[in-house]
Amino acid sequence: MDTMIPLVLRALLILGSFCTLVFILKRVRHAKMQIEDTIFWIFFSALLLFISIFPGLLYWASDLLGFVSPINLVYLLIIFVLLMHQFSLTERVSLMDVKLRTLAQRVALNQEKLDSDRKPAEEPKAEPSQPQEKD
Amino acid sequence: MLKLLIVIPAYNEAESITRVVDDLIQNYPQYDYVVVNDGSRDKTAAICRAKGYHLIDLPVNLGLAGAFQTGLRYAAENGYDCAMQLDADGQHLPQYIAPMLEMLEDGADIVIGSRFVTVLKPRTLRMLGSYLISWAIRLTTGRAICDPTSGMRMFNRRLLEEFAQNPNYGPEPDTISYLIKNGAVVKELQVEMAERTAGQSYLNFARSVQYMIKMGLSILLIQWFRKRDTVTPYPERSL
Repeated sequence: MDTMIPLVLRALLILGSFCTLVFILKRVRHAKMQIEDTIFWIFFSALLLFISIFPGLLYWASDLLGFVSPINLVYLLIIFVLLMHQFSLTERVSLMDVKLRTLAQRVALNQEKLDSDRKPAEEPKAEPSQPQEKD
Repeated sequence: MLKLLIVIPAYNEAESITRVVDDLIQNYPQYDYVVVNDGSRDKTAAICRAKGYHLIDLPVNLGLAGAFQTGLRYAAENGYDCAMQLDADGQHLPQYIAPMLEMLEDGADIVIGSRFVTVLKPRTLRMLGSYLISWAIRLTTGRAICDPTSGMRMFNRRLLEEFAQNPNYGPEPDTISYLIKNGAVVKELQVEMAERTAGQSYLNFARSVQYMIKMGLSILLIQWFRKRDTVTPYPERSL
């Protein structure tokens, strides 16, 4: 069975999933990440853990789909999951761009309103004060 | 008497907002209120302006947590003793505000207007989520919260300051659970709620599942690792 996932790699997967989990929980602890954003990483590390502890299902699936080696399926699976996440991140960043633009425009428009409200009040005051400055 | 701010988060509530706010203005003038328009796409903000309501108009949509937090920041910065959430769809009845305030004065940190203290929770699919969340809170805190998903919640000064400035304090059951675990006194008052008369529920099936996953993970796993940060930028008012 030279096509099986080597023990070292399984250990690495377990270690990797634990590190992911610990790192994410640390970010939450210090309120550096919103809880809804951690859900993906918790499921991701659970997936890694599942694969490394129960590789039997993977052997069966890779056999069924005709992969040369089960590890190829592991890589494909991880790449696919990360791609999906990448896609949703792009969507979010794009949406945030729009929101940021709207916000900046709102602030600028409000400032313009403040400025134009102030101007007519200041101008009549400026005229009588000019002769005083000359003295 | 405690100075109360009623926060009314509104997203696309043009059909029901006038009924809710007019009722408050006419029958409960002793309470201050503020409508937080969460970047609605309908005429909610225009109606509020035309009617002269007290309005905070968010230029972008922040979601319920962000909109409610805006109201609590306003309360914190303007010296209110307590604040509560009142839904703009008319589900929450203002007649229960007075007894909720009394419970807060008796020393509760959070008072929840609950549908199921003395009334049995119906065993329907719609209430399955509520049962699961109640169970999760009981498991992790040992306390029974009969109606964890009720949005009708009132907070005292200390907690509204905490809600106003921290990122993971949505007005949701996981925050309640986390605060109970950290020693907050949470009490429930039996209330009746009206059926929504306009608009439609935000929760469809996919959103419900997503919501349950978030609540489940947050209550059962994440809250054990959260560190509470109660340093407040409002030192003159905090207890």
